[in-house]
Amino acid sequence: MLLGDILQFALNGVVTGCFYALMALGLSLVFGLMNIVNFAHGALFVLGGMLASEATNRLGLPFWAAVPAVLLVMWAVGVAIEGGLLARMRDAHILPVTLVTIGLSTFLVNTMLMLFGTEPKNVETGFSGPPFFLGDVIISQSRVLAIGVSAVAILATWVLIAHTRAGRAMRAVFQQPEAAALAGIPIARVHRFTFALGTTLAGLAGILLGAVFVVHPNTAEPAAVKAFVVIILGGIGSLPGAVLGGLLLGLAESLWGGFVSTGYMDAVGFVLVIAILLFRPSGLLGAPAAREG
Amino acid sequence: MTENRTVVLLLLLAAILPAFAGGQYVMHLLIMTFFYAMLSTSLNLIVGYVGELSLGHAAFFGLGAYASAVLSLEAGLPFFACLPVAGVVAGLAALLIGSITLRLEGHFFVLISLAFAEVLRYVVINSIDLLRGPLGYPNVPAPRLSLGGTVLADFSSKIHFYYLGLALLALTLLAAWRFARSSYGLGAIAVRENRRLARAVGIDPFRHALVAFVVGGALAGLAGSFYAHYLTFVGPEVLGFGFTLSALMMVVIGGRGTLLGPLLGAAVVGITLELLRSVNEARLSIFGILLVLAVIFLPDGLVSLAARWRRPTLEADQATAALDSPLRP
Repeated sequence: MLLGDILQFALNGVVTGCFYALMALGLSLVFGLMNIVNFAHGALFVLGGMLASEATNRLGLPFWAAVPAVLLVMWAVGVAIEGGLLARMRDAHILPVTLVTIGLSTFLVNTMLMLFGTEPKNVETGFSGPPFFLGDVIISQSRVLAIGVSAVAILATWVLIAHTRAGRAMRAVFQQPEAAALAGIPIARVHRFTFALGTTLAGLAGILLGAVFVVHPNTAEPAAVKAFVVIILGGIGSLPGAVLGGLLLGLAESLWGGFVSTGYMDAVGFVLVIAILLFRPSGLLGAPAAREG
Repeated sequence: MTENRTVVLLLLLAAILPAFAGGQYVMHLLIMTFFYAMLSTSLNLIVGYVGELSLGHAAFFGLGAYASAVLSLEAGLPFFACLPVAGVVAGLAALLIGSITLRLEGHFFVLISLAFAEVLRYVVINSIDLLRGPLGYPNVPAPRLSLGGTVLADFSSKIHFYYLGLALLALTLLAAWRFARSSYGLGAIAVRENRRLARAVGIDPFRHALVAFVVGGALAGLAGSFYAHYLTFVGPEVLGFGFTLSALMMVVIGGRGTLLGPLLGAAVVGITLELLRSVNEARLSIFGILLVLAVIFLPDGLVSLAARWRRPTLEADQATAALDSPLRP
C-alpha cells in the first residue's frame, strides 16, 4: 500500500514536473541566451492557458485545432514583446530590464483579469473518459495527454536546437555573441526567435495545465518564480538541466506534500535553491554561479 | 549641493503643511507617502548605490514589523523601545542573508534574495503556534510619548503619526546621506561603476556591498515598526513581494542612486495610484504600462528631468556626465 502511495505521488509529481519542465525550458532559453530575468514568463504561461480556454469553451474549437492556433498567437506575442520592448534594452543593466518585465507582467495579469474574469478556467480537451489503472496507481486520460505532449515538445525543442541551422545560430550567440556577429549571424533575429520560442513553450505549459487542472491569472507570478527555481536547480544555460530540474521539483513537491506537510509544499523549491546555491552553485548540470573577481 | 537643499526644503515644507491642509484622508495619504519614502530610501542603498537588484527587501521590512508587533503585544514594551529593536533585528537578518548571498553573481543574487524572503514568508505562515500564522497580529498598540509622567502625545490623532513619520523619514534620509558620503558609500559606488577597477585600487566589493545591505536592512526594519504601529495590523503579507515591488518602482521612477529620487518616487507613485482609483479595474494594467514606459524613456528617473530642463551648457553637460555617470556597468 505504501509503495502504491509512493508511486501515485510520484506520478502526480511527474505531471506537475512536465509543466515545470516546459516553462523552465522556455525561461532557460531567454535567461541563458539573452540574460533577461523575465518575470513576465508566468503571465505568458497563464495567457496560453486562458487563450486555449477561450478557444475551446467559447469558440468551441476542438483541442487539436485550438492548440496550434494558440501557439501561433503566443509566438506573435513573443515577437511583439521582444521587438517592441526588449530589443531597445539589449545592453542595459539588469535592473531596468527586470523592471520592464515586472511591469509587463503586472499589465498582462491585470488585463487578463479584466478580459477573462476572475474565475479559474479550464481547457476542454475531449479526453474525459475513464482513467487508466496501473495496479494501485490511477492516471486520468488528460494527464496521459499532458505527459505525451510535453515529451513531444521537449524532444522537438531539442531537435531544433541541436540539429537545425537556427539552433546552431542560437548556440553560437549564446557562447560568444561578438564572434557570432562577426561570422554574420543576425543577432537581432536570433534574439527575437529565441524569445518567441520561450514564450511559445510557456504558452504550451499553460495550455496543458488548463487541460489537467485550471488556470488563473493570480498564479502567474508564483509560476514565474517556480520556473526560476527550476533553472537554478538544473543549472543556468543547461537545457537538459531545465527539464531534469522541472521533473525533480515536481517530484520533490509532490512527495513532500504527500508525506510530510502540504503547508511547506511551495517552499520546497526555495529551500532547494538556497541549498544548491550554497553547496553546488553551478546547479545540477551547469556553469558556476560565483563571481569571477 | 542643490539636491541636499531640495531635500531639506521638502522636509521643511512637509513640516508646516498641516497648518494649511488637514483632512483625515490627505493626512493618511501623506503618512503613507512618508512610510513608502522610508522603505524606498532603504532599498535605494542596495539598488542605487551598490547596484545589486535585491528582490527580498520585504524580508527586512516584514521582520521589523513582526518584531515590533510581537514585542509590544507579547512583552508589553512601548513603541519607542520596539522601534530600535526592530531595526537591530532586521539589520542582523540582513547581515546573515547578505553574507551568504552577496558572494553570488548579479543574476543569481536577484533570484536567491527573493528565495530567502519567500522561505521566510512560508515559515511565518506555517508557524501558527509561535507567530499566529496567517492570522497575524491585530491591535498593535499606538505609540505613546511621555516625559516625566506627562503625556506629550498619545497618537489618537493622525497629526501625531504625521510628525512621527516625518521625523523617522528625516532620520532615514540622514542615515542614507551619511552612508553615501562615507568611505563605504563611495567605495560601493566605485564598485557599481567599475568592479574590476575598484578591486584594483583595493576596494573589497563584498564588504562594501554588505555594509550597504545591513544599513538598508536596518532602515527597512524601522519602517516596518512604524507601519505596524500606524496600521495596527501585521500579517504574513508584510513579507510578500508586493512591498519590495512598490519600493523598487519608487526608486527607479524617482531616480536610483540619489537622495531625492526615492522621495519623488514615493510621492509620484502614491499620487498616481490614487488618481487611477477612478478607473478601478484598469488601474493596475495602466500602472504596468506606466512602469514600462518610465523605465524605457526615463531610465535615470524623474530627478534626471530637472537636469534636462535646466539645459546646461555643453561644458557643464560634460562635467555632469563625468560626475553622475549613468548607472550602467
